[in-house]
Amino acid sequence: MIYGDKNTGILVQGATGKQGEFHIGLMNTYARQVGGRGVVAGVTPGKGGQQVHGVPVYNTVKDAMKEHDIGAAVIFVPAGAAADAIMEEAHAGIETIVCITEHIPVQDTMKAIAYAHMEGASVIGPNCPGLLSPGEVKMGIMPAGLFQRGNVGVISRSGTLTYEVVDELTRAGIGQSTVVGIGGDPVIGQTFVDVLERFENDPQTKAVVLIGEVGGNLEEEGARSTDLPIVSYIAGVSAPPDKRMGHAGAIVEGGEGDARSKIARLKKHGVPVAARVSEIPEMIRELFRCRC
Amino acid sequence: MKLREYEAKNVIKEAGIPVPAGFLIRSAEELPAHLGALGDAFVLKAQVDVGGRGKAGGVLMADKATGVEVARELFNREIKGLPVKEVLAEQRLAVQHEYYLSIMVDRSSKQPLILFTEAGGVEIEVTAREHPELIRKIVANPLLRDLPPFMLRELVGTAPKEIGPVINRLYRIFIEKDALLAEINPLVTTLNGVFAADAKIIIDDNALARQGITVNRDLSEREREAGKHGFSYVELDGSIGVIGNGAGLTMATLDLIEFYGGKAANFLDVGGGAESERVKNAVRLVASVPSVKVIVVNLLGGITKCDEVARGIIAADIRQKVIVRLAGTNEAEGRKLLAAKGYEMLDTMDLVVKKAVEVTA
Repeated sequence: MIYGDKNTGILVQGATGKQGEFHIGLMNTYARQVGGRGVVAGVTPGKGGQQVHGVPVYNTVKDAMKEHDIGAAVIFVPAGAAADAIMEEAHAGIETIVCITEHIPVQDTMKAIAYAHMEGASVIGPNCPGLLSPGEVKMGIMPAGLFQRGNVGVISRSGTLTYEVVDELTRAGIGQSTVVGIGGDPVIGQTFVDVLERFENDPQTKAVVLIGEVGGNLEEEGARSTDLPIVSYIAGVSAPPDKRMGHAGAIVEGGEGDARSKIARLKKHGVPVAARVSEIPEMIRELFRCRC
Repeated sequence: MKLREYEAKNVIKEAGIPVPAGFLIRSAEELPAHLGALGDAFVLKAQVDVGGRGKAGGVLMADKATGVEVARELFNREIKGLPVKEVLAEQRLAVQHEYYLSIMVDRSSKQPLILFTEAGGVEIEVTAREHPELIRKIVANPLLRDLPPFMLRELVGTAPKEIGPVINRLYRIFIEKDALLAEINPLVTTLNGVFAADAKIIIDDNALARQGITVNRDLSEREREAGKHGFSYVELDGSIGVIGNGAGLTMATLDLIEFYGGKAANFLDVGGGAESERVKNAVRLVASVPSVKVIVVNLLGGITKCDEVARGIIAADIRQKVIVRLAGTNEAEGRKLLAAKGYEMLDTMDLVVKKAVEVTA
């Protein structure tokens, strides 16, 4: 397990909003299925004393921390308030902070991540679907029905593309240890390097699927940082330069971060790269065959 | 969004960094009023929103005698297909030395990265490749409002000391203007001191509103229209329209089209929780592009309701063929609705894409 397990108490920031309320429901349905603690507290300034799906809401993160044992937080607040939420949680001592919110200005994200780092917190996201360890814990918005417990880790900059890959894996009988959506923004807290380090220390994870996309070189950095067997897929081979492909971070700038050179560098490093998502399960099997 | 040169220079000037005397003119007839201040030799630069403007003929040298003539010539040109509506007439500096200064968002360190080199006058990519040791780099904690003097000394090295404050002022611009990139290239020294001879500032699209920018000029009209519906949309030049949910899945759909030998007409991410009205708008938007012959809809997700999506596709009622892949809740219901109206619904993204490529082949 990485980042949390059944025993991790989760706080939801933005609990009384439409998104927050909806996903507290889904996260706690999952927690009940697997016998976990799930969401134990919500926070919305000014709404303290209310309840959302039976979960008590507090005005501040510190208030919630006084009443509950909390190890992780999931943020659903609007973009203008999200950086503040990250810093409030880090300041209160929460170790893992998952930020679902998208459209946060990069300058705000950089400051919040720098601050969280100083407080010793790990930020996943922003602009991410969160993470799910099948049979243990769900922090975020991933559709739990597609997952199956197993020993392949998945790290991705995308949301729905991750579900597509997980769906392919599950259908092929390949279960997952933990699936982490690290986010589609140019600046994100936990990068491939950070998550791979956690997977290396996780006895359950035997191989990793690394799903990247155009923009930057975090995928190559990640692949170079680990000895774990990896299969990769990079989206955006057909993406034109200087155009943002949906994600704020998915852009080929100044001739850098295009999919083809990314794929070439990964392959040079010995990482097999799938041309299509549907090839991934067979490549994972191949990986296990070679290593056995 | 990329600021035009004169906008970037205004920002830089306001922050206290000297720029050459310059005037924005909207016709050649406006030039004579500024000839006195421009001096004997000056330069006319088309203010168009494209890169590589110089090589495309958008920058012309002029002098007092020929100025109006040259300006007229520039206003009559098209630069990479764009008409010239604004020209920056700018004093030519007697340059002693050129430097390169740039501040950008560094994804790896998650912090601002400041680059400075005394070896200016060459393309920075060339210097980076051939003499990386000549480029000084510092990453700064973004919580700093000002760069500490030691960082400035380290960056400036043996270059003139007055460049230190210029670097700090550009850093303040980078932070306060929500820039993704703030660049002065070249930063030049003259007998009269340091000047920003050219400047480039890119503002974070997610911060346009709080920077008071209402229209993102980097987007085409249709792309802006899509934005109003909450879609991420990019125009491409093929004949297969694409609608997906999620940026990664939509990109993967485009890549698959290329893999099977087809060409996509667009990228459209409808976003999460696609209701029928949203889907209808998306389908109509893509169908309105004349070159689109067939549309691939590839939607996957826990919270996407397939019956809603199916109703949206049917309500759009367009002339082009629509091939659908839906996975999520109420899948059977969506399939039934589509089948009743004769739409094709296939099980995997490989299958829908293959089919679409066949249709356009």
